[in-house]
Amino acid sequence: MSTLIHLAPRDRSELVEALARMTGQSRLLAGGTDLVREMTKNGLRPDLLVDLNDLDELRGVGIKDGVIRIGALTTFARLQEDPVLRRHGRCIADAAASVGSVQIRSAATIGGNVANASPCGDSIPALLALEAKAEIWDAADDTELRPIADVVTGAGRTSLAPGQVIAAFVFPVPDERWLTAFAKVGSRSAVTVARLSAAVAVEMRPDGRSIGEARVALGAVGETAFRDPLVESVLAGGRSDARMGLRFAEACCDAVCRSIPGRYSLGYKCRAAAGLADDVWRGLGFASPAEPAGEG
Amino acid sequence: MRLRFEVNGVPRELDVDPATRLIDVLRRDLGLTGTKEGCGEGECGACTVLVDELPVDSCLMLATQVRGRRVLTVEGLARDGELDELQRQFIAAGAIQCGFCTPGMLMAAKALLLRTPDPSEQQIRAALAGNLCRCTGYTAIVAAVRATAAAGGHVLAPGEASGDAGGGGSR
Repeated sequence: MSTLIHLAPRDRSELVEALARMTGQSRLLAGGTDLVREMTKNGLRPDLLVDLNDLDELRGVGIKDGVIRIGALTTFARLQEDPVLRRHGRCIADAAASVGSVQIRSAATIGGNVANASPCGDSIPALLALEAKAEIWDAADDTELRPIADVVTGAGRTSLAPGQVIAAFVFPVPDERWLTAFAKVGSRSAVTVARLSAAVAVEMRPDGRSIGEARVALGAVGETAFRDPLVESVLAGGRSDARMGLRFAEACCDAVCRSIPGRYSLGYKCRAAAGLADDVWRGLGFASPAEPAGEG
Repeated sequence: MRLRFEVNGVPRELDVDPATRLIDVLRRDLGLTGTKEGCGEGECGACTVLVDELPVDSCLMLATQVRGRRVLTVEGLARDGELDELQRQFIAAGAIQCGFCTPGMLMAAKALLLRTPDPSEQQIRAALAGNLCRCTGYTAIVAAVRATAAAGGHVLAPGEASGDAGGGGSR
């Protein structure tokens, strides 16, 4: 028989008490889609489950004082349709829509996706491109804002200590000139694990045709998703035309080659990167080099 | 731990181990064996049930997660001994061969039609992308969902399911 203890705190003070009881063998329960599989298939036997599902304050997307706050317990089904994200953080909505199946998206949460730190977690590059921070609560009732890149530290590894929980993700409302997009490549068109993913955020200059600041995050390449400064420097200050689309694709291929030298999947991923870059480029609304009618 | 939830319109209350999955409570404790377990990891969708009208894989959810919520299984589709329009159209279209994927297909399709009464073929295929069928090749399944929509089959909401639909178990 299991000796699993189940705690379902209903507010932050109850959560703090529950977090204080967590050990290295304890787990947080959100949507359950990764955790339950670990318990069934890999024999994971937690000593304590802190079930977050009664904490309504961790659910939903809101804007307050110029900051967008995504509750960690928000499901991908909610995120993909959220009007705030569709307008101000489309790369997250699109990443959410590409996660698993309808069944997975109805249960799985963005907090769980980040906390599980899968190299192919779809929300992670999107959060990186928006320079989001995780709002972390702990057993001492403290709150800390930690950049996503400092939360996800390796494949399946995070900097979260037992007793720390991601409560939300926050980022400033981007200026209307920011455009974002997400795309991924997998082995089938739906319900697929990313073999490669990318999220891009670019700030258009007032002329509407050239790019100011650019952020490019790649996922499912190495152990963790990462921003690539070289690819970003190719875009920054450039035009948003088909020629730049081609340079962007080349830069993405280079980034993948630099990141996983010698990996068996390198040949595939280098070529896939070009197609992925084209998808993201179109997702931003820019002319694709693959279309002869474009500017290039 | 004590678990209270509603299955196919019937309030249920039972003791469960907190590590128990929803599918195990449905099949083993409540005798609702219409819900099938295929892969046990969220790839095949055979275990699909609706929780508050949203489709989920019941093999990837702990039973405790449905506390206070409404669950609809394939047993809850029929009302007063009459099959749901969706079930009738699956039969009419020959959308069933071995039948193992069918309960999951029906529940995923039901969830779609509850939200989108007149879906396009693309919407149907997207809604069923999490359900694998190794027999039929999907054509007849998609046709059955379209025929259900054409027949107005979306109007039967889970809350209207008849009271005895949840009574598969002897306990």
